[in-house]
Amino acid sequence: MHKIVLSALLALSFSTSLSHAQSAAWTGGDDLPTNPLACDATPATVAAKPYDGGSPTNAPDRKGKTLKVVDVPKLVGIGYFNATSKGIADAAKEIGTMDAKTDGPSKANIDDQITLIDNYITSGVDGILFAANDPVAIAPVLKKALAAGINVVGYDANSTPDARQWFVNQAEFNGIAKAMVDSMAKETGEDGAFAIVTSTFTTPNQARWIAEMAAYQAKCHPKMKWLETVEAQEDNILSFNQTNTLLNKYGDELKGVFGMTSVATPAAADAVTQANKCGKVAVVGLATPNAMKPYVAADCVKSVVLWNPVDLGYAAAHVLRAVADGTLAPGATSVKAGKLGDLSVINGSEILLGAPTVFTKDNINNFDF
Amino acid sequence: MSAVVDLPPTRPASGAQRPGFFRRLFADYGQELVVLAAVVALFIVVTMVNPRFISANNLTTIFSGNAYIAVAAIGMAMVIITGHIDVSVGALIGVLATISGTLAVAGYPIWIAWLAPVLVGMAVNACIGGLVAYARIPSIVVTLGALSIMRGGLISVTGGTWITNLPPSFLIAQKSVLGLPVPLVVMVVLTVLAALWMRYSAFGRSLYAIGGNAEAALATGIPVERRTVAVFVIHGAFAGLATILFATQLQVIQSTVPPNLELTVITAAVIGGVSILGGSGTVIGSTLATILFATIGSALIFVNVSAYWLRAVIGLLILATVLADMLRRRGRI
Amino acid sequence: MNWKSLLRHETFLALLLVVVLIVLSFQSDRFFTVSNLLNQGRLMTEIGLIAIAMTFVIATGGIDLSVGSILGLTAILTGVFWQNIGMPLPLAAIAAIAVGTLAGFANGAIITRFNVPPLIATLATLALYRGLAEGISQARSVRGYPDWFYVLGQGEVLGVPTQLWILAAAAIIASIILAYTRWGRTVYAIGSNEVASRFSGLSVEKTKLALYTASGFAAAVAGVIFVSRVSTTRSDMGTGIELDAITAVVLGGTSIFGGRGTIAGTMIGLCLIQALKNGLSLAGVKGDGTIMLIGAVLILAILASNLFERSGTR
Repeated sequence: MHKIVLSALLALSFSTSLSHAQSAAWTGGDDLPTNPLACDATPATVAAKPYDGGSPTNAPDRKGKTLKVVDVPKLVGIGYFNATSKGIADAAKEIGTMDAKTDGPSKANIDDQITLIDNYITSGVDGILFAANDPVAIAPVLKKALAAGINVVGYDANSTPDARQWFVNQAEFNGIAKAMVDSMAKETGEDGAFAIVTSTFTTPNQARWIAEMAAYQAKCHPKMKWLETVEAQEDNILSFNQTNTLLNKYGDELKGVFGMTSVATPAAADAVTQANKCGKVAVVGLATPNAMKPYVAADCVKSVVLWNPVDLGYAAAHVLRAVADGTLAPGATSVKAGKLGDLSVINGSEILLGAPTVFTKDNINNFDF
Repeated sequence: MSAVVDLPPTRPASGAQRPGFFRRLFADYGQELVVLAAVVALFIVVTMVNPRFISANNLTTIFSGNAYIAVAAIGMAMVIITGHIDVSVGALIGVLATISGTLAVAGYPIWIAWLAPVLVGMAVNACIGGLVAYARIPSIVVTLGALSIMRGGLISVTGGTWITNLPPSFLIAQKSVLGLPVPLVVMVVLTVLAALWMRYSAFGRSLYAIGGNAEAALATGIPVERRTVAVFVIHGAFAGLATILFATQLQVIQSTVPPNLELTVITAAVIGGVSILGGSGTVIGSTLATILFATIGSALIFVNVSAYWLRAVIGLLILATVLADMLRRRGRI
Repeated sequence: MNWKSLLRHETFLALLLVVVLIVLSFQSDRFFTVSNLLNQGRLMTEIGLIAIAMTFVIATGGIDLSVGSILGLTAILTGVFWQNIGMPLPLAAIAAIAVGTLAGFANGAIITRFNVPPLIATLATLALYRGLAEGISQARSVRGYPDWFYVLGQGEVLGVPTQLWILAAAAIIASIILAYTRWGRTVYAIGSNEVASRFSGLSVEKTKLALYTASGFAAAVAGVIFVSRVSTTRSDMGTGIELDAITAVVLGGTSIFGGRGTIAGTMIGLCLIQALKNGLSLAGVKGDGTIMLIGAVLILAILASNLFERSGTR
C-alpha cells in the first residue's frame, strides 16, 4: 500500500514541478501570443502578409468540372456542425457543379478524423473541406491530400497554414474575445466577477478564445474579476452541473458565466434559470440561436455571440469552388462567395467571414439553425 | 477474488446465536460503508473550507444532478451481480432520450413520452439478454456490438439534430415533490426498492447464485437462461427510467451519446461494491458510489484544486477507495 | 480438443476476411491496392500493439482498460521530457516508455498484491493516468519535433510503413511466446482455472504482473508511435482505444472468460475491422454506417462460430 501511495505522490509532485508557472494567465487559455483589439470600435490594422498556404501538386484542371467534395467536421451530431454542413449543401446546390457530402467522426477525436480523411484521399475526391480537431495532428494527412492533387480548404478550426490552401475564418479570435467580454461588462458592470465553462482545455479554438479574452479584459476592463474555468466536455448535463456548482460556490459574488461552446452555453443558461438567478447572473456565450431561444425569450440571456455557421459552410464551399477554378489564387485580396458577396483575404491565406453576430431578443428569431 | 464469493447471508433462523448488529452490518455492507465514510469525510473537510458546500442548493446539485447515473447503475449492478456486463448503456440512454424527446415534441401525451423509453429499453435489452443467454455469446461481445450499432444508428437517423421546444410538463426532472427534487426522490425510492427486492425476493437471491456459479445454480433448479434475460430486461427498464431523468433535466436534448457515460455507470456499479466477477454486491453501493463521484467532482471545485489536476485527483480517490476496501476484506479473511 | 475449436474460429474468421476483401475490392477499385493496404497497416498499428498485449491479458481472464490512458500519458511525457526538461528526444521517448511500463506494472501490482479485480483496478487507473496526463501537460501541446522522429510514424523502411515492421515483429514474437513456451501455457492455465494453476505450482502472480507490465509497455510504445504519426502531443490521445482493442481481441476468438485465444485470431480480427472501416468508406458508406456494421459483424461472427462449434462437438 504505502509503496503505491508513495509512488503516486512522487509522480504527482514530480510532474507538478514540471508544469510551467502560469501566474497571470487564466486556466484554459493557451500560451500563444495574444493580440487584443482596441477598446473602442476602431478596426484593427492588419499588416499585409504574403500567401502562406500550401498548394496541391499536379492538380488536374478542374475549371467548371463537377467537383466531388467531402466535408469532414470535427464531429458529427452537434447542432453547430449540422449548420455548417447545411451551408455547404446549400452552396453545392446553388453552384450546381459540386457534389458534396459530410462525413465526420462521432467523437471529437483526432485519430478518427485523420483516418476518415485518409480514406477519402484514397477514394479520390477533388476537394476536402475540414474543421480540424487539432491543427498540427491533422497536418500530415492534409499534406498528403495536397500531394495527391486535392484542393484543401479549412473552416471553423484551422490547421497549420502550409497543410491547406485556404482557411475560412469565421471571425478572428480577438474579435470574438472583444464581443464576449464587452457583452459581459455591459451586463455585470465593470467590476463584476465571472467564471468560464468550457469543453476541454485541449480544444484549440476554446483555448485561443480564452487567452484572447484574458488579454482583452486586462486591457479594456481591468476591474472585472476572473474567478475560474471549469471543464465540462461536450456534455450538456455535466455543463449544467458544473455551472450549478459554480453558482453554489461563489453565491452572490458570481455575476456572470461565459459558455465557451454551443453545448455549454444553453446548459449554463438552464442552470441559471433553474436557480432563479435570471437577471442576477449573466450568461454570455457562444451558441447556436435555436438552442438559446427559450432563455433569450425569458430574458435570462441577453446576448449570444456567434457567427452564422450556415454562412460559414456556405462560404467554405464557394472558396473551394473558386480555388478549383483558379479564380482564387495566391496573392488575391478577396473572393466572391455567392450571396455573401466579396469576402476579404487576411493573414496571408485566410478568408474572413465577417464580424461575429451578437444575437439578442430583437433579432434571434430571424435565425434558424 | 475468485476464491471469495461473499453471498449476503440469509436471515439467521430465530433463536440462533446472532452476531452483533454492527459486525453484521460491516460484514454485509463493508464496501458500502467504506464509500459512505468517504462521502462523509469529504463533506466534513470541504464544508470546513467553504461552508457553502453544504448549502441546500449544492446538495441538490450533488444528489439530484447525477441521479440518472445512479438509476442506470442500479440496473448495471444487477447485471454485474449476475456475472455479466453491459458497455452499451450509454448509447442506449442516448437513443432512448431521442425517442422520448421526439415523442414529447410531436405532441403525444406526456405519459407516452415517459413510458416509451422504458419499454424500448426493455425491448432492446431483451434482445441483448437473449443473445447472451441462449446464443451463449459473452455479454461484453454483445454489448460492444450493440454499442457500435446504437451509436452509429443514432447519428445516421437523427443527423445530430438537437431536440428543442420541449413542452414544460415533460420536464419532470425539474420539478419537486414535498420540496425535494424529483430526481433525488426517484433515485432513493428506486434504490431502496431494488435493494429490498435483491435481498429478500427469491428472484433477487437467485441472481447472486447465478453470478456466483451458474452451473451450480442450474443444478439447483434455477432457470439460469430465463433469469439472465429477465435481468437484462430489468436493466433496460432502469436505463429507461434513467433516460427520463436525463432527458428532462434541461430544455434541450442533445441527440448524441453522452461521452463515456457507460464507463461512468460501470465505475459507479463496481466501486460501490459489486465484484466484477459477479455473485456479490448490492445496489445501495452503486448509488453511494455515484454520490461519491458527484461529491468529489463538486468538492474539488470548492477547494480550488487546479482544474488541470482534477481528473488525476478523482482517479487517485477512486483508487484509494478500492484499495481501502481490499485491505478491509483482507483484514476480515 | 481445445486446439480444434480454436482453429475452427480462426479458420472461419479468415474465410470471412477473404470474403470481405473480395466484396470490398469489387465495390471500389482503389481498395485492393498495395499502397492502400500498407497505409491501412500504418493506421492500425497502435491498436494492433495494444491488442496483442490485451490478448494475453484477456486469455488469463483479466482485462486492461487503462491502455488508452497510458498511451496518452506516454505521449505527453515524450513531449514534456523533450521540450520542458531538455532531454535528447530518443532518451525522452525511452523515458516516457519506461514510465508507461511502470504504469502497467502498477496495474499488475494493484491486481496481484491487493487482489483487486482487473476491471476495477484498471477502471481506477484509467481515470488516474488520464488525469496525470492532463495535469502534467497543463493542456499544452508539444509540437515541432525534428524530422527524423517522423520516420517512426510517417516514414517507410523498404517500402513498408516503419511501424508495420514493429507490429509484425511484435505479432510474431507474441504468437511464439503464447503458443510454444511454458509461459504461454501458464497464461492459458490461469485463464482456464486460476485456483488450480496456483495449486499446481504455476507462478500465477508473477505471470500476471508481467502481463500487465507488458500491456503498459505495448500501450507506451503505441503512444510514441502515435506522437510520431500525428506530430503533436495531446492529453486526450488514445481515448476509447481500449474498446477498439478489446473488440479486435474478442472478434479474434479470445474468450473473455480466459483460457483460450491466439495472436493469429487477434490479428485477423484487427485486419477485418480495419478492412471494413476502410473499404466501406471507399465504397461510399458514411462513418456512422460503418460503426453499425462493425458492431453487427462482431455479434454475428461470434454467434456463427458458437453455432459452428456446438454442431461440431455434439
